[in-house]
Amino acid sequence: MDLVWELLIILLKIVVVVLLFAFPIGSLMTLLGDRKQSSLIQNRIGPNRARLPGINHPLVGIPHFLADGLKMIFKEDIIPRQANRFWHTLAPAISLFPAIALWAVIPFSDHYCTGTATMVDYRDVCVDGAFYNLFSISNLEAGLLYVFAISAVSVYGAAIAGWASNSKFSLLGGLRSSAQMISYEVTMGLSLAGILIIYGTLNLNEMVVVQGQLLWDWLPMWGIVVQPLAFFLFLAAMMAETKRAPFDVPEGESEIVAGYFTEFSSMKFAVIQLSEYVATVFVGSLVSTVFLGGWQVPWLYGDGFYFGNTDEPSIPLPYWLVIVLRVGSFSIKTLFILWLQFMLRWTLPRFRYDQIMTLGWKILLPLSLANLVITAFVVLVLL
Amino acid sequence: MPTLTINGKEITVDPGTTVLRAAAMLGIDIPHFCYHPALSVPANCRMCLVEIEKARKLEPSCYAKVGEGMVVHTESPKVIAARRAVLEFILVNHPVDCPICDQAGECKLQDYYVAYDSQPSRVAVPKVGKAKAYPIGPRVVFDGERCILCTRCVRFCDEITGTSELTVAERGDHSEIRTFPGKELDNPYSMNVTDICPVGALTTRDFRFKCRVWLMSSTDSICTGCAKGCNVHLEHFQGEAQRYRPRFNPEVNEYWMCDAGRMSYLELHADRLPSLRVLEDSELSWPRAARKVAALLGEKATGEGVAFVASAQSSCEGLMAGREFVRTMLDDAPVFWTGRPDGDGDAFLIRADKNPNRAGLAGIFGVEVLAQDAHRLLQELERGAIRVLYMMDSTLPFTSDEMKRFRAAVEKLELFVLQAPRRGGLDDLADVLLPSTTHAEQDGSFVNEDGLLQSFWAAYRPRTQALADWEVFVRLARGADRELSFSDFESLHGALHAEQGAAQDAGE
Amino acid sequence: MSTHNVTVVERPRRNLWVQSYLPEVAKGLAITSRQFFKNLLTGSDIQTVQYPEVKRDYPLRYRGLHRLTYRDDGQVRCVACMCCSTICPANCIHITAAEHEDTSIEKYPAEFVIDELRCIVCGLCVEACPCDAIRMDSGIHAHPFYERDKAFLNKDYLLDLGGPSTAVQGGVLGSRSAR
Ligand code: SF4
Ligand code: SF4
Ligand code: SF4
Ligand code: SF4
Ligand code: FES
Repeated sequence: MDLVWELLIILLKIVVVVLLFAFPIGSLMTLLGDRKQSSLIQNRIGPNRARLPGINHPLVGIPHFLADGLKMIFKEDIIPRQANRFWHTLAPAISLFPAIALWAVIPFSDHYCTGTATMVDYRDVCVDGAFYNLFSISNLEAGLLYVFAISAVSVYGAAIAGWASNSKFSLLGGLRSSAQMISYEVTMGLSLAGILIIYGTLNLNEMVVVQGQLLWDWLPMWGIVVQPLAFFLFLAAMMAETKRAPFDVPEGESEIVAGYFTEFSSMKFAVIQLSEYVATVFVGSLVSTVFLGGWQVPWLYGDGFYFGNTDEPSIPLPYWLVIVLRVGSFSIKTLFILWLQFMLRWTLPRFRYDQIMTLGWKILLPLSLANLVITAFVVLVLL
Repeated sequence: MPTLTINGKEITVDPGTTVLRAAAMLGIDIPHFCYHPALSVPANCRMCLVEIEKARKLEPSCYAKVGEGMVVHTESPKVIAARRAVLEFILVNHPVDCPICDQAGECKLQDYYVAYDSQPSRVAVPKVGKAKAYPIGPRVVFDGERCILCTRCVRFCDEITGTSELTVAERGDHSEIRTFPGKELDNPYSMNVTDICPVGALTTRDFRFKCRVWLMSSTDSICTGCAKGCNVHLEHFQGEAQRYRPRFNPEVNEYWMCDAGRMSYLELHADRLPSLRVLEDSELSWPRAARKVAALLGEKATGEGVAFVASAQSSCEGLMAGREFVRTMLDDAPVFWTGRPDGDGDAFLIRADKNPNRAGLAGIFGVEVLAQDAHRLLQELERGAIRVLYMMDSTLPFTSDEMKRFRAAVEKLELFVLQAPRRGGLDDLADVLLPSTTHAEQDGSFVNEDGLLQSFWAAYRPRTQALADWEVFVRLARGADRELSFSDFESLHGALHAEQGAAQDAGE
Repeated sequence: MSTHNVTVVERPRRNLWVQSYLPEVAKGLAITSRQFFKNLLTGSDIQTVQYPEVKRDYPLRYRGLHRLTYRDDGQVRCVACMCCSTICPANCIHITAAEHEDTSIEKYPAEFVIDELRCIVCGLCVEACPCDAIRMDSGIHAHPFYERDKAFLNKDYLLDLGGPSTAVQGGVLGSRSAR
């Protein structure tokens, strides 16, 4: 019975995370981030013509996005002659899978305390009860390794899509994206190594918990505070991983059309696009988990805000409100990183391909190595 | 042999040469209106004034004869000023109708104005009005206001045609070209005045408002109106002939051509055969049609009762190819000839023989063929001696009565192949229709009555499936898997030249 | 090289600060974010015109649909000189000239068709016309056509858009002498 209950809860979590969080945000971003945000930056209005039946209001362009979805579904699905039908059809699924699977380890809030939550040593402790994992799909001990592993898989989607299309543009796009993703994976891993040394755990929730500690009793020990360089390195590497501008060379209208998904149409095209956006949202959530304190709200612990090294909360809060604040905090941080990525997209000119490689191998990699060595040294000396 | 210097260049010319001609030999163009090389020199327009050192005033170069040691300046400031003054004077009463003037674009007054005058009018009094759009003859329209009174037209009628219809009436700025009372400008060469008129005062009724001259392209061609073979500019726009203009050839027509010939361009687009047809099948490409026709000929055109009709309207190249075609494909069938019937001729250009290439036909098929004319053909047909007829043209010299008989006879034929540019009222009877090009759509040559071989060039592409005669023959032979001795125009033309040259040598 | 007017522009020197990239990115972000928030909150910099509902006034020399001007007596002013159809780079003016019964006019366009689908709105026809007969100052935006035939604007249509010409027939001097 317990097992069934457990499974049901996991299923529910999956549904909530994937269908209510990742997908809607991911696809909304296609509209709001790519269209509305860009239009505002560029002194335009952006989509505002489509209407929902009966509502004579542009609704910030959301009807456009619904119409687009509808259109995508009804578009003809074209598989090029000579293309490998099997892989061509499978490729979108392969690129969508990791984008979804990654969400399994993201904690949206701390474990639920069945008893009374309070704070000891800047950590939640559960009195008269136990912690119960309600806010991440899976509380994996090797959470970060899982992230690395799965995001490494996402390279297959692009590579297979490019290869199976029987188009030179697609093949070139696929090659570009695999080379780029593999290159930046190195930096991605190494830039986090420093933080691992400091946090001493791979469990993402545990990492967030550690970030709740205060330096000198007032500064939350977020990743960005203790590892500022790693933050930038990791953000850059992740953006390259997800092929966001300015690292969007796997597609390029002027050279290789839409890159590896040139030959995709209809819903397959939409799925590839969607997986990119979902991955973009994931970058936001991962960066905020590792570097921005995840669900942490500064100075907020199980039973309220603690300002200074006190035993009683300065502002006591009911536990449910704490959870709401934490989930909200996580979401806002995620959205902020997302917003930042789109901002960067419309701010920076895209790199040339050789520049991307130079940046990845000759700049980011040495920097992350240096960061790792220095961190290790400092930790060794201080502790 | 006086030697003179023009603009610093020395030249020695025959005594009696005019300065204008001497300058022309040096490649120096002196503007002129009234002077025309084929007409007498009245020196009335004063456009050609040049500065001759030691002369008291500027001299009209069209009239001034060269002298030993003369030093002439044609572009000195004085001369330029004089030209400007002359132009301004001419333009005092000129209506500047250019937007509606058919001459615009080839008007000497326009050209010289742009080159030398280019100033707004200083005349603020009303211009003298004269006759506008006046039908001075059945084919020529006169505009008195545009006339600059150079009298070229008057001299043409006096000296070239000798008909003297025109004169200058009134005086001063009321002077006007008129016909003598009771006369109109109606001679067989009347339209030439529109060519020599340097402005738009005389224009042809036919070309009126038809096309702007700057839009047209010009191709050197030969008039097919009669056996004289006057050289013409064939001027065309968007694949359609717009007019003929005589092309200077001192051996044939000098600067002129007759009105009937000039109007013969109208036939280029009239009554054309629209497309290929073999029996009932009219949706054919040439290779398929060629195979079908070759099969038909192979089946029927053997043995007795086959006849080939060559045309005096076709080019020499077409006829030569036809001769070989008769040998290889028609078993050396007897050859007849057809063409337009004879008409009136005169002592100047117009010839009684209205076919452009009868001489070429006789040269290629032998003079004997001329006896085998269309009337003989009709007799043979009516005698029932012919089963299969291959005609190279639909032009027939028949009266309507004879035409009826011809049609009746043709209806009884086993196979009637008509290869022609025009329907000629025979297309409904033919079993096979092979559209061919007019001379405006192909390269080729005619031999004129005087035995002169003259070439013409394709001006535009045919709008139909038509091919040049020689190409039709080549294709038909290929359809029967046979080769004629040539397969392109160059080799054919070369062969023709060799043959004609040999014939001319033998004749001399 | 002294004959050539060449200005040598120094490559901008890039110090470590610039080359570290981050400050420059931050600067760029500041600009785009400023614009983003400004437009999000006030919309003050947005240039978009809500076209069908809001229309901009066309400038005085806006080239709209062609029109044919008419003479004082209402006849078409064009004399079918073909200057416009000659200069037209899109080859979209088709004129058939004909003889007018009125001998003072002589030549007039029996047909005058402009193929609006081909017209590239260059205005050369207006420049070329010696008679001020064709103008593009109707102020009418060339609208889309649902049928191809409708895009061939004929003489009557163009004349309906037209007005009398302001130019004086016979030119300025001609008018002076006429008075
Ligand atoms: S004659 Fe020449 S200048 Fe006079 S109206 Fe005609 S084109 Fe113009
Ligand atoms: S009508 Fe022409 S050719 Fe005759 S006088 Fe006048 S300008 Fe000369
Ligand atoms: S505006 Fe330009 S393209 Fe249009 S009709 Fe006039 S000349 Fe032709
Ligand atoms: S340029 Fe003017 S006068 Fe000439 S055809 Fe065109 S509209 Fe008519
Ligand atoms: S050409 Fe010499 S005066 Fe006319």
